[in-house]
Amino acid sequence: MQYFFDLVIVGLSLGMVYALVAIGISLIYSGLDVVHFAHGEIYMLGAFIGLSLYNATQWPFPVVLFGSMIITGLIGVVIERVFYRRILKSGGGYTVAGMAMVICGFGMSIILQNIAFLIWGPKAAPFPVSYGMPFEIGNVTLPAAYVWIVLAALILMTALHLFLKKTRLGLAVRAVAGNKEIAYLMGINVPLTISVIFGVACALGAAAGVLVGPINYVQVLMGIGILVKAFAAAVIGGFGSLPGAVLGGLLVGVVESLGAGYLSGSYKDIYAFIMLIIVLMVRPAGLFGVITKMKA
Amino acid sequence: MLKVTEVVGGYGSVQILNGVTMSVEPGRIVALLGGNGTGKSTMLKAISGLIQPWSGEIVFDGERIDRLRADLIVRRGLVQVTQGKEAYPAMTVEENLMLGAHIRPERAVRARGLERAFTYFPILKERRRQLTGTLSGGQLQMLCVARGLMSEPKMMLLDEPSAALAPQVVLDIFRAVARICRDGMTLLLVEQNVRMALLLADYAYVIKDGAIHIEGPAEDLIKDDAVRLSFLGGTVADVDQKLSL
Repeated sequence: MQYFFDLVIVGLSLGMVYALVAIGISLIYSGLDVVHFAHGEIYMLGAFIGLSLYNATQWPFPVVLFGSMIITGLIGVVIERVFYRRILKSGGGYTVAGMAMVICGFGMSIILQNIAFLIWGPKAAPFPVSYGMPFEIGNVTLPAAYVWIVLAALILMTALHLFLKKTRLGLAVRAVAGNKEIAYLMGINVPLTISVIFGVACALGAAAGVLVGPINYVQVLMGIGILVKAFAAAVIGGFGSLPGAVLGGLLVGVVESLGAGYLSGSYKDIYAFIMLIIVLMVRPAGLFGVITKMKA
Repeated sequence: MLKVTEVVGGYGSVQILNGVTMSVEPGRIVALLGGNGTGKSTMLKAISGLIQPWSGEIVFDGERIDRLRADLIVRRGLVQVTQGKEAYPAMTVEENLMLGAHIRPERAVRARGLERAFTYFPILKERRRQLTGTLSGGQLQMLCVARGLMSEPKMMLLDEPSAALAPQVVLDIFRAVARICRDGMTLLLVEQNVRMALLLADYAYVIKDGAIHIEGPAEDLIKDDAVRLSFLGGTVADVDQKLSL
């Protein structure tokens, strides 16, 4: 039983990490109408920035996490303003510009990998933070690192939820995600709101990278795997749906962990995709997929 | 208050407006009438800033607005009320109203706006916590008018409030709009329903092929044969009905 709980908690914590990245991909999809293929590299960049920040300042881990989110978020805003906006001016989604944007995303992913390679080098770096001793609840032991990841991710998700539901800017974000033309007629500064969406999405990706740092090594190519998993999570949950992204992330994490534990660890990466295929066969729009998007 | 001079424009390379000139005086209700594909929606988009005119001038409240982004025009007090189907269905009624007050973060203004919206449309108060997608067509249109009022604009552009609604519901909405205007709102009403629009308006322009075809006081146009023949299809509005609105 202990073994089962271990697998589930590991799965949940990794699932939370996938969910954070998937939320970012979903946010960008609903706000900009494009799939951001460089989001894995944003996660990698966030992890490295967190690591450098920690090595330079020795600040406590939560502060480092927050600092990395802010810096990466700002980098995201710059990337969106300088590169993506020019392409998206002529439309997203299924338009020619939407296609260009997909290619631009892949290009950005390679560029960011190489920049990280130049700055931090090819070696995997350990994140020298300890999450502390395991918790014991009854006769079940929970490794602290995984518990903290789940808690931190939950706090971030709650904060995002409150931001979207309770604040004026959050409401504007939802309006822009729903329909940009109507958002303009409400007096919303749509270009600025799109930058906010992109920045928040990148900050969440960075948080995922920093959270996973202490249990995995930080390395240049860490973004590739997570992008595919987070993408699977977003699709399973229903693309563009934030609760869907969370549920999808958790499902991917737990299924992967249980599969690796009980079946075979060497096929760890395919369990998520088997589940993706099954979900798409049964519910092609994903678990929470509803067509709420309205085009003028 | 609003002055449109020789506006030419369209989408991409398709020219739709061929030099439209019209004006709206403060406190008046002006109707812009025309059938499908005559350019009235394009004119509306040019005024509210969703498209930029190719040439010509749009002046609101003494300042040129034809090069401004749409959200900046809203900030100057010129608000376009969308059609009912353009309320956000996945938000609650209250959230939609709050979006209308996006440019006014002050608590007092928002509370006052809500109160005003609920006096004109009491049904919205009952439905305020409901998802907008569950409202009827008439209620959606009311919500959009109320949403337009939330930022306390100087002038409103009303985009086909009668579209796809039953005549009785249209009458309810027009009554509410008439009250709003009596309380001091300037209005440009874009309509296909010529009969209803002429009952409400003081002055009207008829647009055809992207240019103003006929214009005049609403009373005169009701009797005008040209208007009647081209749009009313024989149903002439009764001038006496205007008083009951």
